[in-house]
Amino acid sequence: MPAEHMGRLPFRLRYIFAVSSIVFLATLAISPVKDLQREWKHYKRGYVRFAEQRPDTKRLLADVHPDIDQIWLPEMNVVDRCTTCHQGMTQPSLADASVPQPFRAHPPMPHSPTEWGCTICHRGQGPATEVAEAHETTLAWEQPLLSVKFIQGSCGSCHQGDLAQTPKLNRGRQLLAEFNCIGCHRLAGVGRPVMLGPDLTRIGSKTSREWIYKWLKEPRTITDANGNVTVNGYETEEAPRMPQFKLKEEELRALSAYLSSLRGQPVPPYSFNPRLVAALAKNPEAVTQGEVRFRQMFCSTCHSLAVTRAGETKLIGGDIGPELTKVGSKVIRDWLVAWLRDPQAYLPHSKMPRYEWSDEDLFRVTRYITEQLTDSDLLKDVPALPDPASEEIQKGRQLFLEKGCASCHHIDGVSPQKDFGPDLSALGAKNVSQLEFSQSKIPRTLLAYIQAKITDPSSVNTAARMPQYHLTADDLDAVTIALLAMTGPPALPGLRRLVVERQEPAFQPAGAFGKVYERYKCYVCHKFNGFGGDLAPDLSYEGSRARRPWIADFLKNPQTLRPTLVLRMPQFNMTRQEANILADYLSMTLQHPSVDLEAADAQKFTPQMAALGKELYEVKYQCQACHTIGSTGGYVGPNLTNAGNWLTPAWTEAWLRNPQALVPGVIEPRRSFTEEEIRALAAYLQTLRQGAKPTTGAASHGAGQ
Amino acid sequence: MNRRRASVLLFCLLTAVAGCRKQPSAPPSPADRAYDVEADWNDPQRMISLGYRAAQGKRIFYTQCVWCHADATPAGPSNRSNVTPTPPLMNDGATLNKETDPTLRNAIALGGSALGKSAMMPPYGRTLTDEEITDLIAYIRAIAQPLYQPPAQPAAGAAGK
Repeated sequence: MPAEHMGRLPFRLRYIFAVSSIVFLATLAISPVKDLQREWKHYKRGYVRFAEQRPDTKRLLADVHPDIDQIWLPEMNVVDRCTTCHQGMTQPSLADASVPQPFRAHPPMPHSPTEWGCTICHRGQGPATEVAEAHETTLAWEQPLLSVKFIQGSCGSCHQGDLAQTPKLNRGRQLLAEFNCIGCHRLAGVGRPVMLGPDLTRIGSKTSREWIYKWLKEPRTITDANGNVTVNGYETEEAPRMPQFKLKEEELRALSAYLSSLRGQPVPPYSFNPRLVAALAKNPEAVTQGEVRFRQMFCSTCHSLAVTRAGETKLIGGDIGPELTKVGSKVIRDWLVAWLRDPQAYLPHSKMPRYEWSDEDLFRVTRYITEQLTDSDLLKDVPALPDPASEEIQKGRQLFLEKGCASCHHIDGVSPQKDFGPDLSALGAKNVSQLEFSQSKIPRTLLAYIQAKITDPSSVNTAARMPQYHLTADDLDAVTIALLAMTGPPALPGLRRLVVERQEPAFQPAGAFGKVYERYKCYVCHKFNGFGGDLAPDLSYEGSRARRPWIADFLKNPQTLRPTLVLRMPQFNMTRQEANILADYLSMTLQHPSVDLEAADAQKFTPQMAALGKELYEVKYQCQACHTIGSTGGYVGPNLTNAGNWLTPAWTEAWLRNPQALVPGVIEPRRSFTEEEIRALAAYLQTLRQGAKPTTGAASHGAGQ
Repeated sequence: MNRRRASVLLFCLLTAVAGCRKQPSAPPSPADRAYDVEADWNDPQRMISLGYRAAQGKRIFYTQCVWCHADATPAGPSNRSNVTPTPPLMNDGATLNKETDPTLRNAIALGGSALGKSAMMPPYGRTLTDEEITDLIAYIRAIAQPLYQPPAQPAAGAAGK
């Protein structure tokens, strides 16, 4: 275009040029101004102003510079710019609650933020530089900040085992295991037990169709909407077992028809000595005697019963086995006799010990259970159920698979559907876009999804097959935390290194001891080298602690001097030979490496030493605050009335030097006794002997554990 | 006329979009921001928020101290009545608030006899670490009734070092 033409541009066009240039320049000028106004710069300046008012300004401002701060850990995929605004995070002088956020110091904790970054635990968006984008869910960022209430879920992503510092996470994992979630879902870090629900292959020989109908309609354990658990109508602390399925009348009929048809191989009924039966059947005392034996054998350590005291009915007893208040209305007597004689013959994975029974006891106890532990009203509202038709049985079998019963209950010849429920082992790492919310009105976050799903499975999916669980608010949070911890296998090698594997201890002794140990199921209550239950004392070093004769006597006749304890060692009626096998193994094999039984010799204790020990015990150290001798003293630690017969001198001395070295985490504090004091105290304890009857080491049961 | 209507419409749309984006979420309650909570011993309805430290102190309390410093224990009856003189309840602010952090630390670490009090309070200095004792004091302060007021001076004593 020639130049003269340019000069002749219409005025209107020139005007537009001029205006647009001005607008363009103005726009350019806005951006540096806008840049100055960025949110993070506002906080940076705010921190400087705040620090200037503090007495230690110089230290607080030592590392402050005007740019974005970031923690960059490439192997963990961490780019966290949180410290840009959270400036005082590592300043101990800013720990006080009066310091305004975002400048407050991070509370002290096991992992340093500079080594770990922030988002590994807190989630949120590390690279974001705006408050909303860093903390909340926005269109482009999917991971909102995790509230501190749920933060233990992050610990669990790496720590697959339980940590003392994370009680809510541990509780959540325990609940996932107790509710048998693993029956239908794939989970991470929750072990699959050998038996989820009872094996039902022969349920028809154990109970009636009416009882099955009633149970399916209203399981014995019911949890109400507030999370209160009732067993047979009595409130309890027990965890619920079978959840309540919402079944229709015809489904109840079909399932009860199918299950009651399962009889398996008929077990020949045990024939008692007829003369004994004749004598006992006429004896009106037999049932009462059965009750006495039931109590003496401490069945209540594992099974609870409803007891009415002062007008209030409470369940008393343990929760290892089922509650038995109305069991007499459930079981068929021949089945009960066979079960008590050999539980594992009916249920190979049962935790119930195989007791040694005399015919008298067996007869009396089964009479007591089937005649006294009953409820005539239990089956009142069950309709008349005729002999099942074969199509009803067929339908029941189909329902058994469709409802997911087969995921927890084994029946010979019925194979459960694989992966009945969704895989939850990486639920905690799911983005919102991967979750199905359907029509529900809950916030679109993972946290809200998990809580809604557990509270009411049909809220986010109307076709959900999952039964309804009623959890208390605390338990709901705990389960949520445990599910958040399941973030799947870590994607990066750097993260993979951080995973602390769960350790599964095992203790399966062989030989004669192994047989007796398995027969009486010692591991259900006692721990051996980290394996087993924690109801009763850890026996890993029992051979160093207790004298062999005491162990053998105790096994024959377990007693406790603690009247307050409900849960005590059952009376197994074991033979002298079995008691000797257990005592030999415990005393020779289960020893602590640092306790030399030869080193401390009770022969060297003198009466003077014992007298000094008594004075130390009673006056200087006042051990009676926690230990009882005779009838006085506290009950935090074990009763020492029979310490001389019970404890070995070597163990006593080693224990007084450092209790935690022998039993980690034990609550008796480590003192700074002199060697002379230790010998004196050991000498005194060795003088404490009760007559022939052994007392208990099991006294540490309650408080001591 | 048309243009004007269009611009008004555009303005409304933009406001609406902006409104959607900046939806203020309800601030979480203090208990939701706490690592753990403990029910007030005197008023079980009131939940006390515990930070990470105090939450660890709670765990130590319920393993080591609860037997003599509470009226109910996880194992049933309390040992408190067997101990003379009766030990203070751990939430007894009237007794414990006036003790400074270093005094409480000494009582826990060195035991009663070192402070001229009952020897029935054993020393925990060789059982608990310094950090665990700090956690425990944080817990004692958190559950105190009446409430514990930290000393006015934000001295180094507050950090316990």
